[in-house]
Amino acid sequence: MRPVIGLEVHVQLTGAGSKLFCGCKADYRGMPPNTNVCPVCLGLPGALPVPNRRAVVQALAAAMALKCRIPGAIVFTRKHYFYPDLPKNYQITQFERAGGAPVCTSGVLEYLDPAGWVWRRARIRRINLEEDPGRSVYPGGSIVSSEEVLVDYNRSGVPLLEIVTEPDIPSPRAARAFVEYLLLTLEYIGAVNPRLEGAFRVDANISLPGGERVEVKNIGSTLEVERALEYEYKRQRLILERGGRVERETRHWDAHRRMTKPLRHKEEEAEYLYMPDPDLPPVLTRPLLGEAEALVATSPRRLLDEITGDGVPLEVAWSIVQARPAASLYMEARGRVRDPRVLARLLGVDYKGALREAGRGPHDPSNWPPAETMARLARLVEEGEYPPEAVRGLIIPGLVRDPQASLETVLPEKAEGLEAVVDEVIRAYPRAVQDYMSGKRRALDYLVGQVIRRLGRRAVDPRRVRRLLEERLGGG
Amino acid sequence: MKKRGSLAQQLASGVYNPVERLEEALYLISRLEEEVNAFITLLPEERLREEAREAQRRILEGKARPLEGVLVAVKDNISVRGLRATAGSKMLSCYKPPYNAHVVERLVDAGAIIVGKTNMDEFAMGSTGEYSAYGPTRNPWDMGRVPGGSSSGSAAALAYAAVDLALGSDTGGSIRLPAAFTATVGLKPTYGAVSRRGLIPYANSLEQIGPMARSVRDLALLYSVIAGRDPLDATSIDYQPPDPYTLEPRDPEAVRLCVPEEIIDASEAPVKAAFEGLLSRLEAQGATIEYFRAPWTSLVLPAYYTIAMAEAASNLARYDGSLYPCHDSRARTWEELNVEARTRLFGPEVKRRIAMGVLVLSEGYRDEYYVKAAKIRRLVRDRVLGIVRECIIGQPTSPVLPPRLGERLGDPLQLYALDISTVTANLAGVPALQLPVSVEPLPVGAQLMARPRGEVDLFELGLLVEEITGLAGVSAF
Repeated sequence: MRPVIGLEVHVQLTGAGSKLFCGCKADYRGMPPNTNVCPVCLGLPGALPVPNRRAVVQALAAAMALKCRIPGAIVFTRKHYFYPDLPKNYQITQFERAGGAPVCTSGVLEYLDPAGWVWRRARIRRINLEEDPGRSVYPGGSIVSSEEVLVDYNRSGVPLLEIVTEPDIPSPRAARAFVEYLLLTLEYIGAVNPRLEGAFRVDANISLPGGERVEVKNIGSTLEVERALEYEYKRQRLILERGGRVERETRHWDAHRRMTKPLRHKEEEAEYLYMPDPDLPPVLTRPLLGEAEALVATSPRRLLDEITGDGVPLEVAWSIVQARPAASLYMEARGRVRDPRVLARLLGVDYKGALREAGRGPHDPSNWPPAETMARLARLVEEGEYPPEAVRGLIIPGLVRDPQASLETVLPEKAEGLEAVVDEVIRAYPRAVQDYMSGKRRALDYLVGQVIRRLGRRAVDPRRVRRLLEERLGGG
Repeated sequence: MKKRGSLAQQLASGVYNPVERLEEALYLISRLEEEVNAFITLLPEERLREEAREAQRRILEGKARPLEGVLVAVKDNISVRGLRATAGSKMLSCYKPPYNAHVVERLVDAGAIIVGKTNMDEFAMGSTGEYSAYGPTRNPWDMGRVPGGSSSGSAAALAYAAVDLALGSDTGGSIRLPAAFTATVGLKPTYGAVSRRGLIPYANSLEQIGPMARSVRDLALLYSVIAGRDPLDATSIDYQPPDPYTLEPRDPEAVRLCVPEEIIDASEAPVKAAFEGLLSRLEAQGATIEYFRAPWTSLVLPAYYTIAMAEAASNLARYDGSLYPCHDSRARTWEELNVEARTRLFGPEVKRRIAMGVLVLSEGYRDEYYVKAAKIRRLVRDRVLGIVRECIIGQPTSPVLPPRLGERLGDPLQLYALDISTVTANLAGVPALQLPVSVEPLPVGAQLMARPRGEVDLFELGLLVEEITGLAGVSAF
């Protein structure tokens, strides 16, 4: 039984600098409650919204990246519902059926599904640019039972993209891949840092053949997307296999208990009294498209194509592209090395792995060395100057500890006088030399081992020792 | 009746004395305010005296700003930092805005003295001033009559000379109607010419803050201070208001006035007579008067009220008793609090307009009402813009003389009918000036409408009309 999945992803434009309609910060994390507020985002009477140009440009860039149809003007709409965290009791959003115009209709996202390394395709129904509400806390339980509600408006008015797909996603695993790829695409635009707490939320619709559509709300991470849908898939399949009926409903994902729970059974068509916001004249898109286009120039897809075009395996390329600083380093350093595949491996596998081991984030550019350092290291590896153990075990950890360190300071002591040691070993083990000369090739391995033992294991590439011994002993 | 000199002239010639003027105003307030009820909040006398002395000092030092020491009243739906802004509603009886409206910033920068916050119909919804939660305002020209609304207090304060300038707001005639009923001058500016930032909203797409005064030149002076672009109002336009001191009355030979027959027909006899008297005197001086048919007149009130109520329902959604709490609540949950606050703290007209607004925006009704009203609005706007390109539209501001208190309260349609002449300018976004035509037996006003940004045309024609009527600067006391 194959499920049909559609997603609704809410992504905060944490990179927009300020809120959607005022000058308060778009990233409110770490601020005491109700300190990132002003008359506009508190919805005080008479305060007027003025669109944040950067947020609109980023939204248009997202629309471009998702190959949308972009309208000539975007029109903001008021959507009314009474809720404690919504200070005006309406949200400024977009709704095409009430005279509004969203930033995008009918787009498509091609996303990489690492399970099987295939490209998949999901159509995008629309993208809305809207305000995030504040946050409410009910000390006494729920909205109906609590005598108190505490509201923090720091988040109120943060620009939010609502991205709605068509039901084109074939599996819970693919849903996770879609969300990851979507977030990466938006991250490359500079619109979001998806690792910030609460930077995105997902609602998922899932149905199985013979059952009704169930909406799962409140999914807060990409891993949870897969878990929630997997749970829901199994739950629905069990019902259907037992001859039961899956009814249309909205369920809530409980990340703690790892299960979905019914939220409200009957889906009433809510009355939102949509109305074009009279305080906001339509925003013409044409004058902003150039600026938006510049933001989509470096898309994950373009980079993946470039990197794999250098002969780098897709897995390694994907690992690089997932960490933006690694991708920038690769693009900068690739022209300075002979074999970009070595560079790719160093960045996407070795260095990134070392960062993870050291508990440092691969997304922070300051955790990565300059391109020149990486290019020189790649050349040393190409030339066999250092064995892989030395690169992975000594050089890279040294750089991770201090990415700005010069390469010289982290390179292990160079095998000073390698040639002298080789001669010394030849003199010390005449039997082995004899054996080798008479055709016993394994004697050479012994000699190599003796050289390395004298030099220290990480100081020299065994291939180089072998080459040198062969030269000295006349090729055997 | 009293004829007062021109404030602008006094300021220009340097004879204006804020200290003396304030003492006179405080005397009039002490004598009349209790009966007129023009103010919801008055500033403490000591603070006003201090400001007047400071202004006087600046004048003597030659550092006078454009409105140095001028007494101004501000309608109570316009935010003044730290001063209660009730908008005429119990819902906001404790609300003190933490910020100044853009126009208030400009007033303060120009040296004006804000005397108080004026009474008004609740959330500017009303045409008589009787829908204030703080009691009705009376008309200083006849205390048994209404001063018109919703800027009732601003008009009345000017009419009894408690102040010399006032700010009102005009959503469908809320400046012009009270100005007509109190023989004062009022302007509904071109949409976008004056920032709405800080104006407690009723119907955003229709309303403007506007100046009120007792003469055209004084009004132009206040307008020159408050008009102009505000980057924090997305609907604000780039606009340079005319210089109040270089305005001259328009040459009557160059006047072409277009008069809609439907509005004349809808006006009662004394109004019609006064207005036609003005027309014949203008004509006698060489002005061209043309009558035209405006068949859309029957559509303007339904279209206007549909749009205004829809926007009102939206704007007033925020008053749920939580962010603006000001009563002893018995509510146990947030939802109960909403219901309780909106039931107890909104007045009947506000509730009616919210209910109607919700209806016209609801699924299944939206197309039939809200969308259709928006279409009519575009049609009316196109027709009006076509006419004001050619001439200035002139018509009585109100179809009737100021009603008696209570007279129009029974039937909302009777109340809404007062706006038949004024709402067109709001639907079309064009500027409209009201000025008095006669004060005997009761005030009658004329309304002039011009092209967008055509305030200068209105002021020049207004100065000519004042020459004819001789009513510049009149007050009831």
